[in-house]
Amino acid sequence: MINLRDKGAEIWEKANRPQRVAIAIGWIALAVSLPFLGGTILNTPIADYQSVLVYPIAMFVLMAIGLNIVIGKSGLLDLGYVAFFAIGAYTMGLLGTRTGLNTWEILPIGIAMAMFSGIILGVPALKLRGDYLAIITLGFGEIVRIVALNLGALGRSGGIIGIPTPPPIFGVEYAFDSHRVYYWTLLVIILLAIWMVRRLSVRRAGRAWESIRQDEDAAELMGVPTFKYKVWAFVLGASVGGAAGVFYASKTLFIAPDNFTLQISILILACVVFGGMGNIWGVIAGAVILGYLPDRIRFLSDARLLVFGLVLVIMMNLRPDGLLPRKKREKALPNKENP
Amino acid sequence: MIGNFLDQFWSLTFGGLSLGFIYILIALGYTMVYGVLRMINFANSEVFMIATFATVIIIRDVYNFTQTSEYATGFKLWLILGTALLASMAVAGILSVLIELIAYRRLRRMNSGVLAPLISAIGVSMVLAETMRILTDSRPVASPRAMEKKFIGKFFDADIRLDNTIIIVAAIILLTLLLAFVNRTRLGKAIRAVSMNPNASKLMGINIDGVVSITFLVGGLMTGAAGFFYVLKYENSSFSIGFELGIAAFTAAILGGIGNIKGAFYGGLSLGLLETYASFFLGTQWKAVTVFTILVVVLYTKPNGLFGEALTQTRA
Amino acid sequence: MKKLRLTSVAAAAALAAASLVAYAPASNAAAKTITLAFQGPLTGEEAQVGQDELAGMQYAIKLFNAKNKGKYVVKVVQADDQGDPAQAAKVAPGIASNNKIIGLVGAAYSGATIASLPFYKQRLLPMISPSATRVSITDPASPGGALGLPVFHRVVVTDRVQGPSLFKLATKGVASPKVFVVDDQSAYGVGLVDYMKPGIPAGQSAGFDSVSDKTTDWSATVSKIKTAGANVVIYTGYFPQAAVFFKQLRDSGYTGILAGGDGVLSPSFVTLAPASVLEGVRLTAGTVPLADISTKLEADFKKKMGKASGVYAAESIDAANIFLSCIAKGVSTRAAMLSCVKAFKGKSLTGAALAFDANGDVAGGAMNGFEVRGGAIKFTGPVK
Repeated sequence: MINLRDKGAEIWEKANRPQRVAIAIGWIALAVSLPFLGGTILNTPIADYQSVLVYPIAMFVLMAIGLNIVIGKSGLLDLGYVAFFAIGAYTMGLLGTRTGLNTWEILPIGIAMAMFSGIILGVPALKLRGDYLAIITLGFGEIVRIVALNLGALGRSGGIIGIPTPPPIFGVEYAFDSHRVYYWTLLVIILLAIWMVRRLSVRRAGRAWESIRQDEDAAELMGVPTFKYKVWAFVLGASVGGAAGVFYASKTLFIAPDNFTLQISILILACVVFGGMGNIWGVIAGAVILGYLPDRIRFLSDARLLVFGLVLVIMMNLRPDGLLPRKKREKALPNKENP
Repeated sequence: MIGNFLDQFWSLTFGGLSLGFIYILIALGYTMVYGVLRMINFANSEVFMIATFATVIIIRDVYNFTQTSEYATGFKLWLILGTALLASMAVAGILSVLIELIAYRRLRRMNSGVLAPLISAIGVSMVLAETMRILTDSRPVASPRAMEKKFIGKFFDADIRLDNTIIIVAAIILLTLLLAFVNRTRLGKAIRAVSMNPNASKLMGINIDGVVSITFLVGGLMTGAAGFFYVLKYENSSFSIGFELGIAAFTAAILGGIGNIKGAFYGGLSLGLLETYASFFLGTQWKAVTVFTILVVVLYTKPNGLFGEALTQTRA
Repeated sequence: MKKLRLTSVAAAAALAAASLVAYAPASNAAAKTITLAFQGPLTGEEAQVGQDELAGMQYAIKLFNAKNKGKYVVKVVQADDQGDPAQAAKVAPGIASNNKIIGLVGAAYSGATIASLPFYKQRLLPMISPSATRVSITDPASPGGALGLPVFHRVVVTDRVQGPSLFKLATKGVASPKVFVVDDQSAYGVGLVDYMKPGIPAGQSAGFDSVSDKTTDWSATVSKIKTAGANVVIYTGYFPQAAVFFKQLRDSGYTGILAGGDGVLSPSFVTLAPASVLEGVRLTAGTVPLADISTKLEADFKKKMGKASGVYAAESIDAANIFLSCIAKGVSTRAAMLSCVKAFKGKSLTGAALAFDANGDVAGGAMNGFEVRGGAIKFTGPVK
């Protein structure tokens, strides 16, 4: 099977600077023009195409990029990523309805809240063996949902109604039904997140994460403060989830605990692995496909989730490293005999 | 509150224990596989779900019980329970082996790490759950009552019920058999060897694929037994019961120390009791929060779980 | 060999998918085609409520299409929202902008309804929900006024009506009731309890519990009920859990009264536990099950839909019938449909008068009482 990732990397490495800029602009232009392609074969039956672009597709992409920092970069299995999404969304819900703050003012607060809870969860959890991180994070995701379900201040099962839309920015109005404006805004946030991840991964933090992923003990011996960098990865991942949550709440106007189930964590994890863990382009491809597919195959009605499951099984077996896997040399060493 | 708790202590304990034994058996489906492959067998929860349907079909369709039928007694009762238990175990065992063949084997051969099989398993879970949903018209199904839920005695103030007793006794027998299998037989030895060091085992001439299949079979058999006990106790099933119970059983496996049989045992019992007591004290809505908080504390103080030793070191 | 196996799996899957695609009902060219939509959970864990309601709606349409052969063909677009507000928020704009659709039965859940409403309001798509019971959707006193105006209607009674009625029915004829109320943590169950609570006289409450609808082991709740010495237990949730809960409560030796709301009123309820356990369970609902209207109706439903009628069956049929009666009057646009629905005055399946008030609630909203007797749900008269 051809390795799309290597093909892509080959083209990229051969290209000179102007060509690279052209390639990047080409991709961005394609992403920007997606809302206008609703009339084509891309159109989704029943669900609204432009809404699908916002949620799940763009939201999943953003969250998958965030989760990829945790899993793909540093090899930590996080099954409760939805918690940070929920914390961001509830921060927006509470402050947006109770105070006069608007979305852009709440965005940093929501990110801070998510990062803070990332520290609260990460510091004890990351002291543990990697195998257990999965269940601890899973538990954390459930705890956040259950707290939202039982606290009167958070609206319990009824959720929070009447969350305000973002105020105009640079003259762009955010009407609740102008899905493509939200989509384009998300695109900007996604590009910022990609930029952040790329900057970090060529620096000290990126090298530290890479060494942790490949062999944590060796990294520790070489003087990498592994614990610090693991918490750092966790918190950065949380911040992206929190940002997604704030913006999501501001788009849907209404949030309830049902929006933040364990299934979302699992789906985002599937996006990361399906696309190609550790490679940001793979992760994006994975999130786009897995976000889009269930809505594209709605014509199957009753069988659509069944087919979705089949696709996961078949594709993982055909491409175990994901659609666009990371470069060979970046792959982890084979597992040691006993962790 | 404390006074009330003491009043209800034994009846809560019996309820928690029989739930705990169901957890133990499902947890074995996770722990056996983890012990050998270091992999979370995510689809195990749906194997359990399918097994409950096997029991329902035996009682409802093979023996033609309805909600107004007379309860079975004597030999006929034991015959029914025996067939249902064997059918559930067989279905779950075979399904488990098939899942390994279809969803994991190729990935294992390609040395793909732990995440690809996890996602593949999630896909399998969706397929199984949705298939059952379509087959059952999205509705829950009931297993008519074949055995009277009679009280067979009293322990302090608590009634001892026949179904709970059967579950506890039968589960202990199954666990004893399992331990004997793992510790005393050649195959068991092979499983322990692969768990300890797959490459060395291969060099020693052990058929790794065969051992992995056997591990899935054994894990499936235990999960299938859990399906039977679940239906015996709760008399219902639905396409959606797997997920929640699977998560609980997985938590139990980790609480006790994943990868070893004793760990599943103590983890399952602790979780069953803990959930029941916590629901009584704090309200059922805070059950999961309590469980996870205690899990964090346990793992923090004992990083390998309550009884964390590898499958390899288990001694009966 | 390995490769071969995988490709054959893939081929089989593709074939299965293709055969599903190929299936499409043949339409009658001469007749006028009208499209309605149904929104509710049709796949995933919550699918049971949505599938039951969809069957009710399709049954009504089947009868209508047969009766108006050559004149009208009514089609249903199935908008699966999985009962999840997030899914609803992307389905709703699609349904709203599909101008062929002139009426929507749904959404099944209140949360999904609230998430969808902005889009339907903007495009003025008339909705009739068979099961969204949350008060705030039609309550002018809720913050921001009635959320659902002007498009939202419902043929189900709200929590505000049902909560107190359920309490009244449950405690009827009990000399000194001690009531224990258990909800299922869903918006539906919690809502019912919220409106029941203020009406419980001091000294009659034995306690409350809130148990996730995924729970299978009820021993802690059972112990609490026994400790509290309750003689009336009310469960606000859906029938699958109600059956399991009641069974465990009875098996522990509880002999008091058991009661539940319209989420429990499903013919499937009595098949989920031994008749002796459910004997005497009291239920309330704004409507009645098909079998209580006539056994012939239930038999016909079973014959045409291939399964017994489910939860909210009568409500779904009523909701569909309102749209269908408008279609029979020649309505073919959303605007005409909306005014036709608002002006609708007719009879429900039970024969009771059916009309909407200014907020979209079903007018009158009388509650009926039921009791399980000999393994069947029997109508016992209105709750007064």
